[in-house]
Amino acid sequence: MSLKSQLRYHAKPLALAGVAALAGLGWWAALAPQPPVVGVALSDIAFYRLPFGPDAQGNDRPFWPSLLQSETGLLSDPARLPSSADCAACHPREFTEWAGSLHAIADRDLVYEATVEANEDIVRHPEQGRFCEGCHAPAEMLTGRVNSLVSVPPADALTEGVSCIACHTATHADPLAGNGAVTLAYGRAEAERDGPQGAALLADPRAHLAAFGAPDTTALMAGAEICGACHTEIYDTSMSRAETPQAVQSTFVEWRDSWYGQNGVTCQQCHMAADPAAQVIRLRTGDLTPPERYSHRFIGANHVLTDTGLGEALTVLRGGILPGMDAATTRDTRVEQARQTTAFLRTAAGLDLRAAQRTDAGLRIDIAVQNLGAGHNLPTGVNDQKHMWLEVVVTDAAGAILFRSGGASERLGAEDPAAVAWIEHFLDAQGERIINHLTFATAEVVWIRRPIPARGEDVVRYDVPLAAGVVGPLHIEARLLYQIALPDLIYMNLRRDLSVPAVTLAELSATLPEVVQ
Amino acid sequence: MRKLISFASTAIFVGATPVWALTEAEGLAQVKAFTLEHNADLVAQAQGLRDATAAYSAIIAAHGGDYSAAWTAEGPALSDAVSTIRSRWLATSNQYETIEGIVAGIPSLVKYDLILDAGNPGTEAEDVAEFDLTLPDGSVLKRPGSLFHTITEPLFWGSDPAHAMLIVDLDGDGQTGAGEMLFDANLALGASEALVFWAGALESDMTAWEPNRNDAFTAVVTMTPTVGDYFGEWKDSQFLGGSEAAFVAQSRLVDVHGIMSGCQRMYVSAIAPVVASDDPALDAAITTAFQDLLALVSETRAREEAGEIFSVEEADALGGEAQDIAERIVAQVLQAAARHGVEIES
Repeated sequence: MSLKSQLRYHAKPLALAGVAALAGLGWWAALAPQPPVVGVALSDIAFYRLPFGPDAQGNDRPFWPSLLQSETGLLSDPARLPSSADCAACHPREFTEWAGSLHAIADRDLVYEATVEANEDIVRHPEQGRFCEGCHAPAEMLTGRVNSLVSVPPADALTEGVSCIACHTATHADPLAGNGAVTLAYGRAEAERDGPQGAALLADPRAHLAAFGAPDTTALMAGAEICGACHTEIYDTSMSRAETPQAVQSTFVEWRDSWYGQNGVTCQQCHMAADPAAQVIRLRTGDLTPPERYSHRFIGANHVLTDTGLGEALTVLRGGILPGMDAATTRDTRVEQARQTTAFLRTAAGLDLRAAQRTDAGLRIDIAVQNLGAGHNLPTGVNDQKHMWLEVVVTDAAGAILFRSGGASERLGAEDPAAVAWIEHFLDAQGERIINHLTFATAEVVWIRRPIPARGEDVVRYDVPLAAGVVGPLHIEARLLYQIALPDLIYMNLRRDLSVPAVTLAELSATLPEVVQ
Repeated sequence: MRKLISFASTAIFVGATPVWALTEAEGLAQVKAFTLEHNADLVAQAQGLRDATAAYSAIIAAHGGDYSAAWTAEGPALSDAVSTIRSRWLATSNQYETIEGIVAGIPSLVKYDLILDAGNPGTEAEDVAEFDLTLPDGSVLKRPGSLFHTITEPLFWGSDPAHAMLIVDLDGDGQTGAGEMLFDANLALGASEALVFWAGALESDMTAWEPNRNDAFTAVVTMTPTVGDYFGEWKDSQFLGGSEAAFVAQSRLVDVHGIMSGCQRMYVSAIAPVVASDDPALDAAITTAFQDLLALVSETRAREEAGEIFSVEEADALGGEAQDIAERIVAQVLQAAARHGVEIES
């Protein structure tokens, strides 16, 4: 039988088999279990309020005045969002490190919570608090819980602030716009729940990688842009009383324009280094080698919410123990967080006595305050609270104090009008200073003394009056002190008279035998 | 005193069993009847408290307002008077706590909650108790705060040192411990009279209140999620080693139980018939969650009453657990509210 005949002979059964196969495939596709629909329409969130209206194109702005976005435009089902504790099963070190971080408690920290409430209390629509929660509680935002009537049930994943999925599903960030301008694909995290879990995940990690290791996310997490989306804050009329945009937090731009930004040293290379202080010391010498290992501690400057000396009060201030953590592990990771934070802070600054000379009126001293290790301004962040000041004491040969500036206590450092302090003031519409971080009442932000750029310095001059007959040698003690928040913030918003300790960033001690004859 | 507190606590815990209703109208009527019944008891107890403070004031007045002379001459009588006042205060307060979850959740009645129990002094920015207190000597205290917890409780238990007139050995044990003092009779009588007045005013408005679905839902969704704040007050109270002047007479947990029982009663009586009509599973879930919430509060209070001292950390964890249940309840009730076109006054 020729080939042609064979084909003719088998054509019919082949065609029938093909049709049957196609029908079977169609049948299987119709009957196979379908993956559940991922995402929740905004209209399905009962009583969700949009008090600020649509955007210029008429689109809903569910997260306004935060610039947070959902990649699909849909919200998420809290029951399907993985808690960071779920990630701990395979990533225990990363989870434990993160649990000590400030990111983990971004929405649990009582000072933050009280400050948001204080802000919400002064506006007509409490939904204005979405401005804060976009960065501090992205999971609460993306599930529709930031609302005056909360019709969405709680879940562990929603209490974890900047959690695993907050970064590991990010697809876009705009660090110049800031105000939470990050797009999160929480739908990927929800969809991943339908893929293999537990041990099966190890055998088939494709769904997991697609959710949390997508190329767009991986690229974004390697750069400073994702950090800048939240570490850039600009007040305008949408959330404050500012008629013109007020740059409140400009850490990203400070970094971008610095030696660090120009040399590709990212935020992650310092703040996520396994040993951040050692990494900064290397960078101070010009060594651009990135860290050998990265950590999820996100070491920063908050020396209060890592202060294990607060004992049980620290747990209370940090909003309790995180899901998946126990008391012992929590204590251990906080101890390490505190150690690294303190070491890190001590790498940031230096003091250098530039001049000390006799004048007709007494003594003139020039002290250079140096930003030695911060890859952005010193101080940076929201500087109505985070501030530093210089304490200078001049004594005579007998140890008697001839001059003091900056006060003996941290409280004076903030309030002594003569102290040299790097701090900005929030002013209300009447020009009165707001001391407890009422963003929604702020009309203007003014620096009392501009912060010191990366690798820059600020030379501070003191004219010390000296009485006749002062006996030398004179002695100068100077300390550069840093405080994460004003005690007034905690007292006014949290109603607690909690001491806020100051951290000494740098010290100077010098004897001036030649100054006074 | 310990026995008295224990008795008062037991009374409020037992009196909180909610009543299932066949229809919404029946349930709303039950809620109103329950509230009026306890409001009448509140008025009666407040009158008893007023009488007790009048007797105390009379002793002080008989000695020309000289507390030292009065104590020297009539120490045992004054000691008994203080004890009576405190027991009357507890009974009065507990009557209110039994209905607070309902009163505070109804928009037209919420001002009474601020005046009687939960309001701040005028020095605060929000939730101010909008009333002035005129005292028997003619002086007027502008916006002094709530009658129970800002004024009378710190006054009667001595946690407001400004109105402690004389430190005395009230219990005769040879020592002067915390709270052993004679307090300002003028303020005591004025505040007690105000309690009678405002409890009566609440009764009038409660009588005029027309129960309705919107109010019932609003009460549950606004009051239930406040449970976390109450646990916070418990944590800060002297029962857990804190220094707050309020919530010294009895554990704040007793109040929490009263308030949450009111929410549960409103749900079970007035809302459950609505929810169950088209979603029995949701109704069952909410009913169970309320039982879980009340059980958590009851068990915690029982442990406290048995002598267990809670750490701040434990109090926080318990408060977090209670808040979590409350938020689940509210989410479910709001979903039902949306389905039934209920308007919530937020």
